[in-house]
Amino acid sequence: MELVRDRLVECGWKDEMRIACREHVKKKGRKDVTVDELIRVITPKGRASVPDSVKAELLNRIQNFIVSAAL
Amino acid sequence: MSARISFLKNPDPCNHLSDYKLRYGTDGYKSFNNLFRCFNDGRIKIKLQGIDIPRCSYCSVYQKRLYICLICRSISCSSHILLHTQLNKGHDIAIDVERSELYCCACIDQVYDSEFDEVVVSKQLIGLGMSVKSGADVVAVRSNKKRRLDSQLIIGSKFLVSPRDRREKWTFPLGLRGLNNLGSTCFMNAVLQALVHAPPLRNFWLSGQHNRDLCPRRTMGLLCLPCDLDVIFSAMFSGDRTPYSPAHLLYSWWQHSTNLATYEQQDSHEFFISLLDRIHENEGKSKCLYQDHEECQCITHKAFSGLLRSDVTCTTCGSTSTTYDPFIDISLTLDSVNGFSPADCRKNRYSGGPSVNATMPTLSGCLDFFTRSEKLGPDQKLNCQSCGEKRESSKQMSIRRLPLLLCLHVKRFEHSLTRKTSRKIDSYLQYPFRLNMSPYLSSSIIGKRFGNRIFAFDGEGEYDSSSSSSPSAEFEIFAVVTHSGMLESGHYVTYLRLKGLWYRCDDAWINEVEEEVVRGCECYMLFYAQERVIQKAHKELSYQVISMADAFPFADC
Repeated sequence: MELVRDRLVECGWKDEMRIACREHVKKKGRKDVTVDELIRVITPKGRASVPDSVKAELLNRIQNFIVSAAL
Repeated sequence: MSARISFLKNPDPCNHLSDYKLRYGTDGYKSFNNLFRCFNDGRIKIKLQGIDIPRCSYCSVYQKRLYICLICRSISCSSHILLHTQLNKGHDIAIDVERSELYCCACIDQVYDSEFDEVVVSKQLIGLGMSVKSGADVVAVRSNKKRRLDSQLIIGSKFLVSPRDRREKWTFPLGLRGLNNLGSTCFMNAVLQALVHAPPLRNFWLSGQHNRDLCPRRTMGLLCLPCDLDVIFSAMFSGDRTPYSPAHLLYSWWQHSTNLATYEQQDSHEFFISLLDRIHENEGKSKCLYQDHEECQCITHKAFSGLLRSDVTCTTCGSTSTTYDPFIDISLTLDSVNGFSPADCRKNRYSGGPSVNATMPTLSGCLDFFTRSEKLGPDQKLNCQSCGEKRESSKQMSIRRLPLLLCLHVKRFEHSLTRKTSRKIDSYLQYPFRLNMSPYLSSSIIGKRFGNRIFAFDGEGEYDSSSSSSPSAEFEIFAVVTHSGMLESGHYVTYLRLKGLWYRCDDAWINEVEEEVVRGCECYMLFYAQERVIQKAHKELSYQVISMADAFPFADC
């Protein structure tokens, strides 16, 4: 989990999400937004914008783990 | 101003939180003390005994956001938390298990309470106690979690520094940092401050377009000034507020300009030009498609390069020859505007020169003077094409194309070759914060000469006799380099304008100053940027000021 976290921060995904959240809050006004609503709106954007390199690296690691655990 | 301060204030608690506090006070918070678990990167979670993976008590899901009720300690996911509140009256407040943040189930939103934050943060301090090195780190932990703490709050730990003085530095825009004087290097510090905060340059280096780890010159062991600047940009925007020593850049610059490698005071403007030149040399080689500067795509030229038009007119027949020269800054003569003798006044009136304001030299006066129609002396007769022989002529400069960043250099140091002396012109020059450059554009200057004619001049293209200021002719000031003192032993100070506020950068000392102070200073170099550049930078900085927390190493929220 720490790896995923680090990678996502590194590649700027977190900052992009932060900016997206800010935009949403700016649009809705500070008082009108709830955490749940933010999550609902941002989650699809976030899932879509994870860079392929991060996905690939994690898949690789999982595969290696499974292979080594099976032996 | 008030907008800035309000984000530091606590938001008001919702009714449910107030009710909870009335009934239970802070005992509920403290009872969770044993359940907090700290991690190295500053995160703090709730860990229940015996339960490794917390699950929702209604649906057993563990992947969603889970909340633990303050009163009954049951765990619910975001879908079922409302159900929990409905089934159990008064069980409104819960804590986010992953993040240790308060949540009001009835309001379906996060809420904030400084006393809860106190409890959490003091647990974090104890947890991180071993790795805390200095007050700065400790303060970083607090700010990191974006807890909006009351300024009077002092958690009972001796590590904490009173937040008030820290906060002053916090509210400084990102990238503002003092530069140590390494021995009469204020001339360098002054220019560096202005360049570091020039939006196009800042964006270029911070976005890694000249990365010192990828630079081919540096890997070959060659000197590379843009790489040294990369180091400086990283340091300036690192969030560290202690003054920085640009020793590498100084050393590299010495190696390039060995004749200037002394500890004597150098000319700030000279340093500016030579630095930009070196950047062009390093950058331009790879990006320059053409030899001439006009098409160069290096950052120096993209930011500072404009085009000057020079018209030389034969006074006899009126035919004009036009040349275009690129420029990266404009040097303005101060003396002539200031000290007109009566004879000069008469001369100017006849040739339609600028109206003389004998009392106060202004920047527009200098620019008028720069774009005046100047009669070339009898010893400067030029060969006129149509007359066929050398004739007296007049010359007029105008600006064909404005750069993104306009550097105006006020010639205060007069070196007289005949008298072999130099002197400094101390007179005050009045300058505006907003500058409209359209009267100095070629279209306006040429237009004035010929009156209202609607036709293009030598491929000018868009000439409009009634042209009001086009958007790209409006400039806003962003930096002023001032020089005070004598010629040999003076001192350079830079005033920076960030988000509408002025900051005085005197080597290592930075503080906010009033507008009047800047208006009244003795300007030496004025840095203007096109309006749209400033507006764009405003937007970018507004993200950065709020996220001061990210400037500190612990990067989670």
